[in-house]
Amino acid sequence: MQGIFGGTPIAALEHTLTFAQRRHELLAGNLANLDTPGYQSRDLDIGEFQNALAESINSANRPMSSATSPYTRDDLFDGPRKATEQVVFHDGSDVSLEHQVTELAKNQHLHGLAITTMRSQFALLRAAITEKA
Amino acid sequence: MLNALDISTSALVAQRTRLNAVSGNIANMSSLTDETGKPNPYKAREVVFQTDDTMSLSGASGVKVAEIKSDNADPLYRYQPNHPLAIKEGEWEGYVAYPNIDLTTQMVDALESTRAYEANVGVMEITKNLSRETLTILA
Repeated sequence: MQGIFGGTPIAALEHTLTFAQRRHELLAGNLANLDTPGYQSRDLDIGEFQNALAESINSANRPMSSATSPYTRDDLFDGPRKATEQVVFHDGSDVSLEHQVTELAKNQHLHGLAITTMRSQFALLRAAITEKA
Repeated sequence: MLNALDISTSALVAQRTRLNAVSGNIANMSSLTDETGKPNPYKAREVVFQTDDTMSLSGASGVKVAEIKSDNADPLYRYQPNHPLAIKEGEWEGYVAYPNIDLTTQMVDALESTRAYEANVGVMEITKNLSRETLTILA
């Protein structure tokens, strides 16, 4: 039994949204610590998240079976990695204003993409339930 | 498409580095000694940009700061025999070496990098609008 949302990408979109929200928190924290001496910027690896999501969708073909999906593991969100690829300034901090703002904008776009797709999925479901488009 | 944002960001970082160098040049236009306190007039810093192909997927290149060079122009000599840092002997006896910084050039550089920064912010705004428009196809 797949349930009403089985066979729809809504579960996967939900995880994308959670990811975007967590990442937004970290990026906001980086910006807040723009002038904190010694602060190392934190980020979530979007490539790793998407690989895990794709793997889970391919293996289970049912994103709702969260008990077995690897991408629901909490450790994906618990491990804010320290960005080491950036230049360290003289005060030991490595937060670059431009990079952080750009990542925020990209993350916002990912969030918007997930929300828009989800809305159209719900519109399809509503059309099926009410039998009118 | 979001790759364009990375390219614009690289330009923002590069232009900000340039503006920082110009600020330093103008701030030090009367610095007669170096950081160790020895008489050595400040030399203008020039930021050299270089294309950066590491971020391109579609043939477009970003930009990075290749190096920061010191201007090798001779210092300006002013005759101030009573100055504590006046040169004691040789051709320039009684003169004080001042940094050879042209304020007009520096101000134009500052304006140029500011405008370049604004232009790149404008491009980023356009990129974001494009992807936002793409999303409206779905809705």
